[in-house]
Amino acid sequence: MFYTLELPILNIYCGLILEIPEIELGTLPPCPVASDALQGIPRQQTNPSRWQGANWDEFVTALQQDDIEVRQDQGSKGIYLTDAGGMAHGMPNGVVLARSAEQISKLLIYAQNFRVPVTTRGGGLTTEGESVAFGGILLDMTGMSQVIGIDKSELTVRTEAGIFWHRLAEVLRKDGLDYLSAPLNMTSSVGGTLGVGGIDVNSSKYGCSADQAISLQVVTPTGEIIECSDEINSELFQRVILGYGQFGIITVATLRIRSYTPMHMHYFYYRSLRTAITDLHELDKNAVCDYTGILTMMDKAITLLVGFDSKEKEKLFFKKWRRRLHGHGELIFSIRLASYYALHPWRLNELLFLYRRKKTLFPDLQPAHHMQDGAIIDRTVVFSRAVWKHWGHQHMVIPDLATSVDKFVDAVEAGNAVCKKHFRRYTLYCVGIKLRPDHKAHYELSSIPPDAEGFSYGCEFEPVLEDAHYSRDQLQSFKNAIYDVGVELGSSYYRFGGMMKGYIRRALGNKVVDKHLAMKRKADPAMILNRDVIF
Amino acid sequence: MRSVDVIIVGASLAAAAAAKRLVDAGLETLIVEKLELPRHKICSGILSPRGYRFLIENFGPLPAQTLHEPTSCRGVTFHFPSMVSMPMDFFGGTTPHLHRKYSDHWAIQRSGAEVQDQTSLLSLEDHGSHVEVTIRKKGGETTTVRARYVIGADGPSSVVRKTLYPEYNKKIPWFFVGQKFHEIIDCPLDEEYFHFWFHPKLGHYTWSHARDGRQIVGVGYKRGDNFQRRHEYVKSYLEDKHGVKLKPADPDHEGCAENFGPSLINRYVLGKGNVLLTGQGAGFLNMIGEGMSCALHSGAISGESIIEAISRNKPVEDTYKRMIVSEIHHTTDQWNPLMIAFGRPHEADFPAALMALSLPDRIKVIKDIWNFLLLYKEFKWGRQIARASLERLFQGTYSSQRWW
Repeated sequence: MFYTLELPILNIYCGLILEIPEIELGTLPPCPVASDALQGIPRQQTNPSRWQGANWDEFVTALQQDDIEVRQDQGSKGIYLTDAGGMAHGMPNGVVLARSAEQISKLLIYAQNFRVPVTTRGGGLTTEGESVAFGGILLDMTGMSQVIGIDKSELTVRTEAGIFWHRLAEVLRKDGLDYLSAPLNMTSSVGGTLGVGGIDVNSSKYGCSADQAISLQVVTPTGEIIECSDEINSELFQRVILGYGQFGIITVATLRIRSYTPMHMHYFYYRSLRTAITDLHELDKNAVCDYTGILTMMDKAITLLVGFDSKEKEKLFFKKWRRRLHGHGELIFSIRLASYYALHPWRLNELLFLYRRKKTLFPDLQPAHHMQDGAIIDRTVVFSRAVWKHWGHQHMVIPDLATSVDKFVDAVEAGNAVCKKHFRRYTLYCVGIKLRPDHKAHYELSSIPPDAEGFSYGCEFEPVLEDAHYSRDQLQSFKNAIYDVGVELGSSYYRFGGMMKGYIRRALGNKVVDKHLAMKRKADPAMILNRDVIF
Repeated sequence: MRSVDVIIVGASLAAAAAAKRLVDAGLETLIVEKLELPRHKICSGILSPRGYRFLIENFGPLPAQTLHEPTSCRGVTFHFPSMVSMPMDFFGGTTPHLHRKYSDHWAIQRSGAEVQDQTSLLSLEDHGSHVEVTIRKKGGETTTVRARYVIGADGPSSVVRKTLYPEYNKKIPWFFVGQKFHEIIDCPLDEEYFHFWFHPKLGHYTWSHARDGRQIVGVGYKRGDNFQRRHEYVKSYLEDKHGVKLKPADPDHEGCAENFGPSLINRYVLGKGNVLLTGQGAGFLNMIGEGMSCALHSGAISGESIIEAISRNKPVEDTYKRMIVSEIHHTTDQWNPLMIAFGRPHEADFPAALMALSLPDRIKVIKDIWNFLLLYKEFKWGRQIARASLERLFQGTYSSQRWW
């Protein structure tokens, strides 16, 4: 007997019935094992079941008759097998390259009618498989990557949403302009970033990347093409910004921009996470710097990064603020570090790692060909290259936590303990995110913690994997342990990744999730758009 | 001749995990199982928290039919000849008491792979670019299917392993593990726990736990001994020492051969060429005989290795041996005395439970464990374990020269 399986399944063998109940997307059935199984944590299937392909041929025929090309060959599909996380592997049934809002509209109308899942993908920089298609259509948004227009007097840019931030920066730079803030990564797309948040080392000044959107053209899950902003169709705007791709596909975005400035960067070194974070909070609260962040090598070498757009601001910092910071310059810190390892000689390997890392990483953060008068002239390129060179790996493992100011130190320290337990080498990366009070509604389902006022703080926990191979489950266990810290502290997860299906109810509570699930069901009756990401 | 991407032999949890990875990645996957599904499986069914998490995250919530009563297990209780008992709760909370017949079948179905049951593997022929697999359906014809890769997930008595390593079965000691089911008259053993005895006179592996209103009494010993006699001895011991009063065994007793040596001495058989071995067939077995969680994880890694080999155009054997290292560490660490003492490799805290005892009881327990370990003296594993433990301590890994 050969058989393939479709859900729901009711099979009868030898007179015994094995019933596999169908589970509605977004719901969590009671656990039949015990209420305290897995310590009472309501875990969910986070590695989705593959879509079984019902009506696929009819769906493709309909698309082709409407001049929408669907690539079904292995070569075209295979390049979308995984995302930057490199852990989830899924193959779409077909790939559509985005060409226009009208084309996407038709695609979604057919997808609703035939109930075919559609997964959107920009740069594919998700880490939990959110941009991996477990069957259905993979919609590659990079086909829409043109800058439509720049308004130099109003300082805005109108661009197709499949464009990578790096390419946008290139175009803006020709007119002496720059975007406000964006992920330090060459291949993240504008649309994808606006859907999840996006942070930069200047997010403590400008907020997350999503907050710089003025208006959007969105194709809703049922195929309507709608322009939205805080003024028109504001409810859709609120849902789509930081909405994880649940309520529509962003096809075009108008963003705030600014004049381009080189970046003057300085580093101060700490031995205590708590002290460095306290100083970071002070600098951000008083808007002392244009760029701030913390980057560590384990919890041994903690670096506070500060940057400035102007020499005047830089001078003011050194005049009024430098002496208030508890961090040291490189020389004094090196002496302190040497004293520590002199008393802990069995940790010599760790010291050698720190030395090696400093020797290779720091020159890459200030490469001569990207420096002018002591300033970095293209931070996007400099930081992106450094990120991929020194943190890049087959698996991008960057679980993160986002908290209010008050909870941040506890979250970082608890996450640091998790890192120590799982890996010998790791780094932490912390930044502040300035919140916009008028965007409170945008944040409701997002990674911005509900109790955050004024600022939210985020920390990424990044193991340095080097050549070692870790199983998918080992890395997932580490990520879960970090996310569990978030649940215990009542915090959230920033950037991309953490706010996944298995955690959203625990992080935001049933009331908020059910409210948005009801809106999702209304907006996307067949639940086809980016399913399994959070619901 | 039919061609598929992967054939998985066996319809176990390891097979389900491998199939899940392969099907998700769009590979045509065929599972062949010699028995009719759902098939019976001899097993305690007490899954570790790690295995439980894997099941939920990959296959979804367990249907009630996949569980025995009591549906959960809180931890393990060790019993010693000195009559000291040491209960230890699992770190992750209670875990499922799986009904293997249905849980395995449920996971196989959730994987989405095509299944051909009542089909036996007759032969494998690796041609380098593909493997020709000859199978026979019960009462039907013999057919040959061409696959790019084959995964052997067919348990401790793996036919795939026998094909690749004909000498394996002669090289390792085999144990018989058997269990009988009893109606309960009176049983003071806490039914929330899995009970294990470190008692050399009871045998190499002695356990008991509640299932569906009955009590299981299980014995494990070197193959060749007498099941009936062994079982009777344990039953009387439980009555005399623990007040466990049971009716005579029901007729549905069961037993099977187990290879719980390879994990202990870091000796795994992982496959050759385009044929991989996984689960207990490859030697993965956690301490206290729980093989389900490492079957799930090693099975998943075998599937991931094939995806990795295809997408990077690398030989799958090398890829698998590189990717499986983490699971080998995880499994072998559980048997590593240094790790047990200092590294918390298990999902319950043995050192903490030991330290919670009074000093005299602690001394009794250590003495009892030592006497129990002497039972294994004849296998001459001591030096091998010591060497592997030191390798792990100083080199951070185990020698891959012992993986065939």
